[in-house]
Amino acid sequence: MRKMLVSYMTLGYPNVEGYLEFIDGAISQGSDVLEVGMKPKFAKYDGPVIRKSYKAVNLSEGDTWELLKETRKRSNVPTIVLTYLEDWLGKLDEFLSRLREVGVDGVLFPDLIIDFTDEYDKYVKVIRDHGLKAVIFTSPSVPDAMIHDLSKNSDLFLYYGVRPTTGVPIPVSVDSLITRVRTLVENKLVVGFGLSDVEDMKKALRAGADGIAIGTAYIEEVEKRGVKSAISLVKYFRGVLDEF
Amino acid sequence: MVDREEILPKYWYNVIPDLPKPLPPPRDPPEAEFSRIDLLRKIMPKEVLRQQFTVERFIKIPEDVRNAYLNIGRPTPLLRAKRLEEMLGTPAKIYFKFEGATPTGSHKINTALPQAYFAKEEGINHVVTETGAGQWGTAVALSARMFDMNATVFMVRVSYEQKPQRRTIMQLYGADVYASPTNLTEFGRKILAENKDHPGSLGIAMSEAIEFALKNEIKYLVGSVLDVAILHQSVIGLEAIRQLDELGEEPDVLIGCVGGGSNFGGFTFPFYGAKKGKKFIAVGSYEIPKFSKGDYVYDFPDTAGLLPQVKMITLGKDYVPPPIYAGGLRYHGAAPSLSLLIKEKVVEWREYSEPEIFEAAKLFMRAQGIIPAPESAHAIKAVIDEALEAKKTNEKRVIVFNLSGHGLLDLPNYESMMKRSLK
Ligand SMILES: Cc1ncc(COP(=O)(O)O)c(C=O)c1O
Repeated sequence: MRKMLVSYMTLGYPNVEGYLEFIDGAISQGSDVLEVGMKPKFAKYDGPVIRKSYKAVNLSEGDTWELLKETRKRSNVPTIVLTYLEDWLGKLDEFLSRLREVGVDGVLFPDLIIDFTDEYDKYVKVIRDHGLKAVIFTSPSVPDAMIHDLSKNSDLFLYYGVRPTTGVPIPVSVDSLITRVRTLVENKLVVGFGLSDVEDMKKALRAGADGIAIGTAYIEEVEKRGVKSAISLVKYFRGVLDEF
Repeated sequence: MVDREEILPKYWYNVIPDLPKPLPPPRDPPEAEFSRIDLLRKIMPKEVLRQQFTVERFIKIPEDVRNAYLNIGRPTPLLRAKRLEEMLGTPAKIYFKFEGATPTGSHKINTALPQAYFAKEEGINHVVTETGAGQWGTAVALSARMFDMNATVFMVRVSYEQKPQRRTIMQLYGADVYASPTNLTEFGRKILAENKDHPGSLGIAMSEAIEFALKNEIKYLVGSVLDVAILHQSVIGLEAIRQLDELGEEPDVLIGCVGGGSNFGGFTFPFYGAKKGKKFIAVGSYEIPKFSKGDYVYDFPDTAGLLPQVKMITLGKDYVPPPIYAGGLRYHGAAPSLSLLIKEKVVEWREYSEPEIFEAAKLFMRAQGIIPAPESAHAIKAVIDEALEAKKTNEKRVIVFNLSGHGLLDLPNYESMMKRSLK
């Protein structure tokens, strides 16, 4: 079965035109899922690169929704919004309805399991009640029994972030971390966080990952060499996945 | 009888996959001007950092580290405190794991050795750390020597002055020891500018050590709090499980004292993972009341805030312990895994005051002859209370505690406790 390429981009980065160009390219070069980062108040689990990309974006609320709508219009793959639940606590219904209205497929809250452990199933239900997919984020600091339960409860795939923060290449043994959870996960297992090294990616796939999520590597590429080059990177990663 | 080499475990145990809830990860603070998580890559030996974040239930202990463990006398003895039982008139059986049997006199060597080894493997020839009472500094000084490396230790000023013997031992092992706050670091100079007689704190000494590591491009060894230190300490509990099995005993109550939480976690977590033991008691000090007065929040492990924030029970990174108090356990926070288990009510906590632990220490000395570290005397006090409760209810419970260190170099502490108790 084809391995999943989940491509992340910060909404509106580096600017509206560049962002849309990247989104079009990411889709045409073989991304299976788009993950779009909505600027949070505090990007708790993001490293310096993604934090900086959020800083660079200055969309009004109206523009944010317009751009999400436009993203969805252009994409023929599942498109999920990534943002922190903390920011939306008082107005979650309104937020989820809005997401649904603009046609987004689902939402991923990286802090759902860690900071709202006791109520996560309540939130998953709210998300689904709004007709959205709930993609659950887990990491090696989630206990085994819980990873097993969550895997049965996550839509589209289970996200497993192998490092404590995005983009910082903390040394970890990706293969050992996947071996630990592979048999526990009754779902597609998508691995992310700090995966830009191709050897790491191959290790993850060999150890049983069903897909890879990439973000920081694209943003760094946009920063250094521009959007076109970042799109080539999508193509390159697609090729790596297709070897498996 | 099985031999020593067989009791010494081949793997370290990590409790995180078995916790009841997800462990909140270390993180960069909001609006961080630099990434602390990224900074870890510069200051920690690469393999130590890998073990901190590659969370697996069991991690193999390298052969060279196992040999070093054997060389310092691991496994440590599991002894029965028979005379203490008799003096208390309790039907309970009391056992203790005696970590004071290592050459440096405490459990701290269990993580100093592997961390020094991994630094050495990486081609580093100089390590740095902080120390309070000097137990951790001594462990690092010896471990560095065993792997032919230099060591620099920032020692909290009050201890530096009150504990000249521990300083001497570190120097005999070949380490450079400085009284923190020093004027060797920017952070130390800043603290001294505010108060030139500052007594120092573990958090400040930690910040100085980290800054020193960065400036000199050497590696920093972490003595407690972070998961990787507790991982290494799991040899204590893993050995104890084997040793109790040999005796045909099933533990009911497991007790340890808590500074940052490393000896407690190293001792009790393997039991928890193996579903052994009905009650876990973490003992802190009444004078440094992190359990009763602390908050469970994200906080920095060090005062300067150079390390990533971790979620823990904490009195705040700027906490300075009362200067006259001699009972140890002065660190402001408790390890994230332990904090979580306390919040989840898997682990109970107690806090005891200096006079209480002093009485407990004396009783233990007179019963068993071993002079406990003042830190460990906190655990002893809880053991005595449990044994007396068992007497009331006439229960044959099996109490096992970790005697984390001996107190032969803490006699000045006991002298000051003696003076205070006579007042
Ligand atoms: C003998 C002894 N026991 C206990 C501790 C407390 O530290 P931890 O809670 O990390 O074991 C120390 C700390 O220096 C110590 O020296």
